[in-house]
This record gives sequence, structure tokens and C-alpha cells, in this order.
Amino acid sequence: MLKTKIGDFYIRILCESKNLRTMLEKNFHSYIPIGNKQPDLVINIEDGFGVSFQDYYVDIMKDSNQIFYRRADYYIKVDSDFRTALVSVHNELALKHALMNLFSSFIVYHNWGLLIHSSCVIDNGRAHIFSGQSGAGKSTAAKLSFPRNLLSDEATLVKITEEDVQVYNSPFRSEIEADSFSGNLSLGSVQILFQALQNKRERVAKSEALFQLMDKVFFWPHSQEETSRIMKLMTLMVKQVPVYELHFQKNNSFWELIS
Amino acid sequence: MMTHFIQKGNVEATELDGEWIILNTEQYTITKLNGAGGLCWSLLNKIQTVDTLVNSLIEEYKTIQNKEQVKQDIEEFLANLTECGLIEHVNRP
Repeated sequence: MLKTKIGDFYIRILCESKNLRTMLEKNFHSYIPIGNKQPDLVINIEDGFGVSFQDYYVDIMKDSNQIFYRRADYYIKVDSDFRTALVSVHNELALKHALMNLFSSFIVYHNWGLLIHSSCVIDNGRAHIFSGQSGAGKSTAAKLSFPRNLLSDEATLVKITEEDVQVYNSPFRSEIEADSFSGNLSLGSVQILFQALQNKRERVAKSEALFQLMDKVFFWPHSQEETSRIMKLMTLMVKQVPVYELHFQKNNSFWELIS
Repeated sequence: MMTHFIQKGNVEATELDGEWIILNTEQYTITKLNGAGGLCWSLLNKIQTVDTLVNSLIEEYKTIQNKEQVKQDIEEFLANLTECGLIEHVNRP
């Protein structure tokens, strides 16, 4: 059994498969003592489901007690109060994507925050997000930011309230493993990336920011209510945090425009 | 016969610094409106026609000279909103 904390939530993961457990222990190791805290979510994981990755299409169904997310390589069955989930997967990739799907839906259910397709870098005690279309340079910007520490390289975990927007260390990693940072930092800015020959950073109007960021949220909506909750969270975020278009050269000089 | 329009129920709208973002929660589309579009959108929470919207715009923006142009713009705007699934026709008795 693995006990971990993601964002503000205590998660208990049960998994019989040795291979999958190795991946889980690597990515979901908790650097803070969990003790016997009551879990907010219990996840049972099993292997042997479906076929290898086909595409990103997820079929979503629900009945009065449960929600079901089904992709060719994973199947999630979660109680409608998001307290216990059964995740059946084909392999490690399927498990990673299934856990992102589950956790994204979990934090939206709790109206806690969003999982945003982006990298996130710490600079001077604040978090800065780099987002953009596929291939725009999210992970490049993260790598170029070395030796600054990262909170995410693919999926940023953002808590959104009326008062504040905070970023937590994300266990959902692509290439760069999480370090031991276990706190949370205020979100200083969001950059929407474009690779260019010269550096340029321009503030984006709030409506445009919302427009550009809505499709950067990882979400698998099963109801209109959930979709509108995502929009309300994103609106709260762009009201509080400045969003910029960052045209950047492939070196670390763009930080002069942010710091 | 005069066509009547009203907002559909499957939308979530938010105003940010004078512009509007309308989310169709059924089709997952997002529409951005400027200030004038946002005013029309707000009015469409009650039944409107092209003429009532034109009159409201002229009332709000007193500098408007060309009423015919406004009418054409509103017709186009309503056609776009209908296509985006954000408003619908209603039959008035």
C-alpha cells in the first residue's frame, strides 16, 4: 500500500502488480510523513485491462452511484462522491494517464483547482507557468530554466480560491522527475509560449487569457455542471494572475522579461 | 413574421474587463464577445428581436449614425450565435 499526498489531499493507493508498483513508488513517493491520516481518496489499481494505447478518446458513462471512464488501455470506476476508485490498466502509460484523468476529475469535483497542461518553474519564491499549444516549448522552457526548480513539466497542479492561486508539486511528470518540494507557492504569472527569433512578452486581456487557457485544462467532463465549474475556476485564476504571450528564443534569456 | 431569440440554457457566461466569454457546456465551445456583443448577449436573457436589439444598441451608443448597418450587424451576430448553439428561436403567440 502506498500513502501519498497530492495537493491538499491524502491518497491511499493499493496495487498488487509489481511492475506498476515500481512506477507508482517512483512518481508518487511522498516526502512528507503521512502517518495514519484518513485518506480523501482510496485507489485500487489492477493490471490486465484492454490493449496498448490507441488514442486519447475516453468514453464516459455514469449511473446514480458511479462514474465510468473507459479508454482502450484503461478503465476507471469511481464512486460519485469520489472517495474510492478502481483503476484497471494495460500498462504504465495507461496508468499514468488514468491517474491524471481520475485526479483531475477529483479536484474539480471538490472545486479545489485544475490540472493545467503546462510546465511550472520556481523563481524568487513564486511559481511561473509555461503553457501553449503542443510543440510550443513547454518542456523546452522548463529545461532552459535550470537551475531553477520545477513544480511540473507537463501537468501543473493549481489550487484556485477567491483569495489566492497556489501551485503544488505535481507527481504527473513527463521527463523530469519531481524533487522533494512538498509545499505550495503563489502563482506569479502564466506564459503562453511561442518560439521566436526575439524575446517579447505582452500582457493578454483577461478574456483572451481565459479563451486561450480553457483548452489547456486536463478534463474529462461527465456533466455540464462540471464544465461550468471548470470555467468558474479558470475565470477566478485569470482575474488574479497576469497572463502573457511569451515569444522566446531557445535560450534562458527570456527570464529577463519575467524576473 | 418577426423572429424572436433567447439564450439557450446550456451556457455559462462571464464578463472580464468589458468583454464576454460564453461557454457552451454541451458542445464545449467558447465564444468571445466584445462590449457591444456582450450587451446584446445580456439582453438576450429575455426574448429579443433584431429591432429591439438595434434600438437598445442605438440607445447605448448614441454616436451610431447608420441604423441599417447596425441592423445588418445584428442579423449576422444572431446568425453566428445561433450557429454556435448559444441562442434559439422562440415562437411568440
